[in-house]
Amino acid sequence: MSADPLQALANAGQGKSTRSLLRVIILALIAAAAIASRLFSVIRFESIIHEFDPWFNFRATKYLVANGFYNFWDWFDDRTWHPLGRVTGGTLYPGLMVTSGVIYHALRALTIPVDIRNICVLLAPAFSGLTAIAAYLLTNEMTPSSSAGLLAALFMGIAPGYISRSVAGSYDNEAIAIFLLVFTFYLWIKALKQGSMLWGALCALFYGYMVASWGGYAFITCLLPLHAFVLICMGRYSTRLYVAYTTWYALGTLASMQIPFVGFLPVKTSEHMPALGIFGFLQLLAFLDYVRSAIPSRQFQTFLWLFAGGTFGVGLLGLVIATSAGIIAPWGGRFYSLWDTNYAKIHIPIIASVSEHQPTAWPAFFFDLNMLIWLFPVGVYLCFQELADEHVFIVVYALFGSYFAGVMVRLMLTLTPVVCVAAAIAVSTILDTYLSTKSPKPEESQAAEGSEGKKAGKSGLKAASKPVVGIYGLWGKSMMVSALAVYLLLFVLHCTWVTSNAYSSPSVVLASRLPDGSQHIIDDYREAYQWLRQNTREDAKIMSWWDYGYQIGGMADRPTLVDNNTWNNTHIATVGKAMSSSEEVSYPIMRQHEVDYVLVVFGGLLGYSGDDINKFLWMVRIAEGIWPDEVSERSFFTPRGEYRVDGEATETMKNSLMYKMSYYNYNNLFPPGQAVDRMRNARLPEVGPTLSTLEEAFTSENWIIRIYKVKDLDNIGRDHAAAAAFDRGTKKKKAIKKRGPRSLRVD
Amino acid sequence: MRLTQSIAPALLLLAAGVAQAASGWGFDDGSVQIAAKKAGEAVKEKISQTSPLSKPVSLGTTDTLKLSLTAKDNGKGKRPHQAFLVLQEPESGLEAPFPLTVKENGKAVAQISHKDLPVQLLLANKPLKASVVIASFGSAQGLNTPVFDVKIETDANVPPPAYEKPLRYGKQPEIHHIFRPDPKSPPKVISLFFGLAVIATLPALLIGWVALGGNVNHLSKAIGAALLSHATFFGSILAMEFVFFMYYTSWNLFQVLPVIAAVGAATVFSGTKALGEVQSRRLAGER
Amino acid sequence: MRSLFSFLAFLSAAVVSALSTSGNRLLVVLEDVAEKENYSKFLGDLEGRGFELSFENPKSESLALFHLGERTYDHIIFFPTKAKGLGPNLTPNILVDFMNAKGNVLVTLSSGVATPNSLVSLLSELDIQLPADRTGLVVDHFNYDASTAAETHDVLLLPPPGPVRPDVKNFFGAGAGKDEVLAFPRGVGAALGSSELLTPVLRAPRTAYSYNPKEQAEVVDDLFGAGEQLALVSAFQARNSARFTLVGSAEMLQDKWFDAEASKVGGKKAAKTFNREFAKRVSGWTFNEIGVLRVNWIEHHLDEAVAVNESNPSIYRIKNDVKYTISLSEYAWTSWAPLTLPADDVLQLEFSMLSPFHRLPLHLDAAHSSATESAYSTSFKLPDQHGIFNFKVNYKRPFLSNIEEKNTVSVRHMAHDEWPRSFVISGAWPWIAGIGVTVAGWLAFCALWMYSAPVGGKRVESKKTQ
Repeated sequence: MSADPLQALANAGQGKSTRSLLRVIILALIAAAAIASRLFSVIRFESIIHEFDPWFNFRATKYLVANGFYNFWDWFDDRTWHPLGRVTGGTLYPGLMVTSGVIYHALRALTIPVDIRNICVLLAPAFSGLTAIAAYLLTNEMTPSSSAGLLAALFMGIAPGYISRSVAGSYDNEAIAIFLLVFTFYLWIKALKQGSMLWGALCALFYGYMVASWGGYAFITCLLPLHAFVLICMGRYSTRLYVAYTTWYALGTLASMQIPFVGFLPVKTSEHMPALGIFGFLQLLAFLDYVRSAIPSRQFQTFLWLFAGGTFGVGLLGLVIATSAGIIAPWGGRFYSLWDTNYAKIHIPIIASVSEHQPTAWPAFFFDLNMLIWLFPVGVYLCFQELADEHVFIVVYALFGSYFAGVMVRLMLTLTPVVCVAAAIAVSTILDTYLSTKSPKPEESQAAEGSEGKKAGKSGLKAASKPVVGIYGLWGKSMMVSALAVYLLLFVLHCTWVTSNAYSSPSVVLASRLPDGSQHIIDDYREAYQWLRQNTREDAKIMSWWDYGYQIGGMADRPTLVDNNTWNNTHIATVGKAMSSSEEVSYPIMRQHEVDYVLVVFGGLLGYSGDDINKFLWMVRIAEGIWPDEVSERSFFTPRGEYRVDGEATETMKNSLMYKMSYYNYNNLFPPGQAVDRMRNARLPEVGPTLSTLEEAFTSENWIIRIYKVKDLDNIGRDHAAAAAFDRGTKKKKAIKKRGPRSLRVD
Repeated sequence: MRLTQSIAPALLLLAAGVAQAASGWGFDDGSVQIAAKKAGEAVKEKISQTSPLSKPVSLGTTDTLKLSLTAKDNGKGKRPHQAFLVLQEPESGLEAPFPLTVKENGKAVAQISHKDLPVQLLLANKPLKASVVIASFGSAQGLNTPVFDVKIETDANVPPPAYEKPLRYGKQPEIHHIFRPDPKSPPKVISLFFGLAVIATLPALLIGWVALGGNVNHLSKAIGAALLSHATFFGSILAMEFVFFMYYTSWNLFQVLPVIAAVGAATVFSGTKALGEVQSRRLAGER
Repeated sequence: MRSLFSFLAFLSAAVVSALSTSGNRLLVVLEDVAEKENYSKFLGDLEGRGFELSFENPKSESLALFHLGERTYDHIIFFPTKAKGLGPNLTPNILVDFMNAKGNVLVTLSSGVATPNSLVSLLSELDIQLPADRTGLVVDHFNYDASTAAETHDVLLLPPPGPVRPDVKNFFGAGAGKDEVLAFPRGVGAALGSSELLTPVLRAPRTAYSYNPKEQAEVVDDLFGAGEQLALVSAFQARNSARFTLVGSAEMLQDKWFDAEASKVGGKKAAKTFNREFAKRVSGWTFNEIGVLRVNWIEHHLDEAVAVNESNPSIYRIKNDVKYTISLSEYAWTSWAPLTLPADDVLQLEFSMLSPFHRLPLHLDAAHSSATESAYSTSFKLPDQHGIFNFKVNYKRPFLSNIEEKNTVSVRHMAHDEWPRSFVISGAWPWIAGIGVTVAGWLAFCALWMYSAPVGGKRVESKKTQ
């Protein structure tokens, strides 16, 4: 694929219209390729919503389609966060759902009835095609070489770093947000270059769309002011910058405030303050510019110092006072965790417990970006070479993007666009240099020395006096070009391989290989959710760890206590406490929250690593954060500091509800004394745990999901342990108390 | 508890009457003794079946109360079947019996310390009422008479025994919980004052503009040059404000958007012409 | 409409059963059929009230309390049996299952006969303790029947019981004649645990005590219980309102103590026994003939002047005014009657999420009450917190069947267009004025910018040309 456009370009060098036509065709093909490569999951599995968050988005979209926009806007969801409920309309980014809803209604208006699920499943691939085009536009602003844009589009289309979040079925905010991110940047560059209010307003419009779609909008909110600030510091203040920035800021902020979830955050939180600060700073600069033109320069110097010092002092004082008075919220926990990767682990376990919030491992960069990762610095270097305003943007973006990508796995996503753009600039420069069949004549190159333009790739040694640069041998050129072609082909292979193997699993359905090599589908999740849907009351409350909240809501359609929208730490900690405490402690909690069923994920039989016992320590930590006196992480470790589930496990561990629910009746599967947890390679004690306040209701085929029913209070007033003992036939011990005082009954 | 309260006086009366008649059970040589564990000194007081001790005896945490008496049937020492010391918590009427160890000759002893007392008695606020019940089979009248009061001394250093009131079904205290108080507005006068102050800036602004030479003298010129464009342009600006006003008062988003689109288009198309005319005047040096 | 419906329901209910509200199949567990004669009046009374009595031997193999998972009897009476254990079909587990299936049980004991193991362990599950070795005799040297137990003092004569607490209805002793006494011959006293499901019906007098006649004939060294802590007749009501009554003396139900005369020691004249009436009330209570409550209907609705006033909506908004009404009836022997509360008692409504936000008294609503039902209602403003709330009436009182009614409603937040408009809020006036001034200023500026002629045109011109 990558060779195609180059070949075509080389052949059809003549005629502008042919070129544009080719470009359009190539872009269309790239978009098609981007979409096609994301369909692996649909082909391998089925048209199904993936993972966790997409299930909520899907459910919300269905609600939107069924009830209309304003009902969605005011949606009070009484089936999550029981019994608190969730003001869903005011706590989500509606962009994704509204986009799907608009597409749905548009298709209906065109008399093409498409199931909303299919729209949701295919939205991400469709938008990835648009992202490729946006990358093309953005890159075209950077370099006059049109091949760079096409390459960027191609890279963007198939880079695994982006595919990871946009395969078919991955119906998440990022699906459309990356397109909006790239397109907003494109519009910003356009506005900045032209100093145009129209482009600035468009930029603000798409920024507003971005805000409506993804919490990652803060990246734009911080990056654009930063770009402006760097430009100002470089002495590149211009009215173009002033017009572009103020237009964007004023309109964009107003637009963002229309989203209920964002509301007044843009004027209240520290994350948004840089944008406001730069806005004010630009006003000052514009004012100073005016003053400078009006008064003599000597006076202007004094005026400048006084004015700048005064303003800075007042501004800083205002900020400090406003922050300490609580008008401006201090930096949030998620923000701190961006700087100190250990911060979350210590202070906000709920953030740290999410795997995608972990720091990125180095191999991940290569895995997600392949050869782009080493082309990336080259591209940035080339930007330094020219260093127009837009190149500064790439440099700034590259710096911050790489830092954030190193801190959090999921921010790889925001890095990918700039990597694609920079790498495309690098590759196109190399190709432009080597694909020219003309051998430069020394005189020519001498003459062309002043302009340098095209051969930027080799013009790094500017300082050297008049070097005669140029590639003369056809042999060397073809070597270079073919090597690059091989790399590009390998890149395509890698991307395809990664997409098909790593990023196309819906995670709701697990695939495994049988000994004969055929694929075996493990469908325990849906089996269990279907059981819930068919066998429980419609308002039966399900308690599970929050990871499964959205899936239960989406697939089983039952109210849950906590879900993946982790807005209420205390409520999650309550569930964590119920899971990590003994039955006597947990039962009142479950009663109070009207829990009917408890769902746990257990991977011991199958060796499935994502089960609740492996996540258990996070539950303990989160619970400990709220009830340090009642839950202690230490007591789940053996004296030697091991986290064990076998006979050596601590008493607290063995008595915890989670442990009991996971291993209840498990040893019946094995010959006596042979029970083994295949996930943790632990031999379990011969006698399994007993449960008195819960009864087993359902266990899925591979024991991945186990569902327990919470018993009602004992009818004749005993505690559950006593009732269970009585049912087992154990005789109640007579209350023999020869010693001690008589107990009196009070009526 | 009602039951207790209603029966108790009657029984006491009855018992008193019996004692005076002295035709049944009674006791002699009664004494109550408080023995502290460490200090050997013991407080000993005589008790009689006719009149209870006037002052309560106090029982400390480490003390032992020892009651000894000789039970008598019609003046003769004899062993009764029932010889109890009954401690009663006066507020709730709860009672705890303590059987006396009785010998054949009627000599009876009981020893009580804190650890023998039910928790409700330990936590009593008022002194416990101690009475002696002596009775047996047959026709002899039994004796049930108050003998002394016991004050339970608690040690401040030792935490009081845990006692949770058992759950009894009955009415519960009312709850009127205001989760979040209503928001408040400042006095209307202040709002009105500042509102007027804000409005006052408009005339101030206009006057300022006029004072600096602002005027609309070119209106006729502009209209003469491009009547339609100027009228539409200014009209569309007005219309846009009207749309905003309608959005504020009654319309919803879906009503507003098409109107905005129409008005916005009018603004853009008429605006190019009208502003072009303005530009031409500027270029002609007339602004 | 509702009241009409409930009235019809009541009518049909009244026709179907004119006796117990929960069926009339009564199992009498009796060792010796001859013994039946002793209880002829008591059993005759039961039959007269419409019960179908079946007699079974405790050891019977064919006896089955359940058939295909359904109860085969509605109520059981146990008379004392000499056997140490009951048969395989009357194990404590089966009896507990019977109660879990809303079956009622009346157990009678006798001091002369050891209580079967099965019943002892059932009792201990209910938190009732009997004297050790399953024997015990309650005596009172101060209140005994001088005519029949002058020497042994084991026939206790007691006044009919008063209410357990001032706020509890007196089902068992109310209306007794002033000089009527209750005879409690040769009975067993039990010690009740602190369970809230238990209530003593008849307590021993303060001077009574329980002893083991075999071992403690001479002297009481180890006292099982004495005074009012000793329950002679106790009632247990399970959470599902299944009832269990323990009568310490089977003999008090025998014919000879019904309408008999007894002479209290020291009393001047012989007193009539109250036993027959008491037996009727105890058995009537146990077998759901009295003290049974029924919720006829529950209704809640918006208490606001709005066009749509739906009944029992599933969703409200915060700060809505809401009215809640519940209609209750109480069954008294033959018919449903309106529930009347004792003077000190109130019916309370809780509006709760996790914990109650409101607990309000419900007041009698005469407009919706009738001869067979009484409606209680209250109005209040919902709290300013969204969530899933419950209207909860949790009326559990001793001797009355449990009422725990939970109606779940969602309380949503204010929709975006339900807030008070900004011009209503006086604090917003300056801001609204600001908006108006900005709009007017903007229009004026547009006009000025487009149509203002230069003043001192030359200066402007010169500046332009610079």
